[in-house]
Amino acid sequence: MNSGYSNNNDGRTIVEKIVSRACGRKVSPGDVVDALPIDKLYFNEVIAPPAISNFQDDFNQVFEEAFGNIEQGLVQKKKNQKRVFDPSRVRFIPDHTVPSCSVMVSKGISLMKDFAKEHGIMMYKEGDGIEHTLVTEEGFVLPGEVVVATDSHTDTVGAVGALGFGVGTTEAEYALALGEIYDFVVPETFLFRADGTFKNGCCAKDLILYILGKMTESGCSRKVAEYTGDAIKKMDMDGRFTICNMSVEMGARSGIVNPDRVTEDFLKEVAMRHPELFSEIQDTLTKIPKISSDENASYVDELRIDVSELTPQIALPHSPANVKPASEVNDEVNVVFIGSCTNGRYNDLLQAARILKGKRIHPDVNTIVIPASRAVYNQAMSSGLLQIFAEAGANIESSNCGPCFGKHMGVLSSGDRCVSTSNRNYRGRMGSPDAKIYLASPATAAACAIEGKVTDPTKYLPS
Amino acid sequence: MAERALFQGKIVAKFGDDINTDYIIPAYLLQEAWGKKYFAEHAFERYDPSFVSRCRANALKDSIVVAGKNFGCGSSREQAVYAIQYNDVSAVVAESFPDIFYRNCISNGFPALRVESTKDLEIGDSLLIDLQSLSVKNERSNAELRIYMTFEERATLLSGGRLGKVKERLRERLLATS
Ligand code: SF4
Repeated sequence: MNSGYSNNNDGRTIVEKIVSRACGRKVSPGDVVDALPIDKLYFNEVIAPPAISNFQDDFNQVFEEAFGNIEQGLVQKKKNQKRVFDPSRVRFIPDHTVPSCSVMVSKGISLMKDFAKEHGIMMYKEGDGIEHTLVTEEGFVLPGEVVVATDSHTDTVGAVGALGFGVGTTEAEYALALGEIYDFVVPETFLFRADGTFKNGCCAKDLILYILGKMTESGCSRKVAEYTGDAIKKMDMDGRFTICNMSVEMGARSGIVNPDRVTEDFLKEVAMRHPELFSEIQDTLTKIPKISSDENASYVDELRIDVSELTPQIALPHSPANVKPASEVNDEVNVVFIGSCTNGRYNDLLQAARILKGKRIHPDVNTIVIPASRAVYNQAMSSGLLQIFAEAGANIESSNCGPCFGKHMGVLSSGDRCVSTSNRNYRGRMGSPDAKIYLASPATAAACAIEGKVTDPTKYLPS
Repeated sequence: MAERALFQGKIVAKFGDDINTDYIIPAYLLQEAWGKKYFAEHAFERYDPSFVSRCRANALKDSIVVAGKNFGCGSSREQAVYAIQYNDVSAVVAESFPDIFYRNCISNGFPALRVESTKDLEIGDSLLIDLQSLSVKNERSNAELRIYMTFEERATLLSGGRLGKVKERLRERLLATS
């Protein structure tokens, strides 16, 4: 952690620092903030339509009264833009079941488009990517920000040192109008310290699965999971996204990693792709030392892990916390899904492609590969990864949540046994309640696709 | 819509730990309606298929759902709250709730009540719930449980959610910045 930067004697965590900055006073865990101002807000096409519809029902009259009385001079467009707390801090991202898989989904996306246009909100296109991948890739979410979105995996943005919270329709609707969340309890922080070097075939997913197995589905309830240690510091951004993403599976309010050199390099690349963000990102880079946890910060609890002892892990049906070493499981598999906000980034696809290169997928295994964003898709295409998957016999789909959401692109039937790189294997999550879902890393999933059964991927890698 | 502070209901379901929102309402339905009532008929359809009919059979009375730890974990879908609430369920009593689901309940003025232990509560028991004194009384065994809830949460719950306050705040904000 970045000691020495702090000029405080009483150490504080990154979470305390971010919330204190956001609400303009020093807060500690347990404090209740009446109205916490948020920096960024984003919506998917599952929750935006009801949220917009409720927003109109609940607030139109308030807007009419306020604007009718005092702003007759304003042109309609400007008036509309004032209805949303700050359109430049809101994004709409259709990602769960796109290209649309039902008439109602299409209607919802149309409503979002109309609302976005009318209120000056930026809306992405179907296939641009999964929300949590897109917001960091696009530099919309930056370190030190308070981020709210209508999805429990908003914790993913913690990988860049932002504090992300998933909320329901109503809280998001209110945030859209006022840019705040109410009666916010400042969470305690649970420290996960991972040291050592990963063995060949092991990666971030194995670490977070291992942690989940230790913590159970409620072990980090109401707390934020902060990840530190050498293994995290050496980890690339894609791995950090995976780890923060699954924090919610142990009940955590969010997950977070202190921004460091790796984060800085990631942000610099974002700035190169988006010159319009250059000065904002430059400014953020100078603030990084100030937002990181102090070395003497206090934590409610701590778990130490030596990753050198880890072997590839797998979560068995029907809980993400029901975890075992993959080498101890032999179950047959007939569906493999490589993708999702957990493991659909470039390095994830690269891990899977290394194993699938020059191989044929088992004849009984339907394998679905979905890059998490259009940028990942295009990069995987130009570097040849997509060709490896196609030649191995996989189905490659445009960027979206795919079978993880259980509504399209590979809905499971009763006898199916699926190894997925996503984050939840609840009964019925991907279709039939009688299907069995296993969670694993992209490397393990690829090895399972070749063998048609749960397989430790190590033997497919050069030692 | 102010909520009742004192009511009686019958336990129609008792669940264990870690009941996730996918169990309460499966994802494939979420985008098929923008309203709230639609989700009621699908509550627990893949997990406890007779849940809805048990609630209907109890239609003349209030229904109560009881669970162990971590009720409502997983996805942030607020439709999980609607699915339960619109089956004439007037409270969920559990040993703990994860934040997102808990906050969604409070936002909807739906009592999510945290108690020390739900071990002694059985399907069919009649409970007397008092949100003023924050207690749950089991009328079969006469045992009383304390409800753990903050002052703010109770106030929000009793006023049926935050909408009134939020509208007022919005009105003030618009007038101040104009
Ligand atoms: S990939 Fe799965 S977990 Fe991630 S946002 Fe989409 S549906 Fe949710």
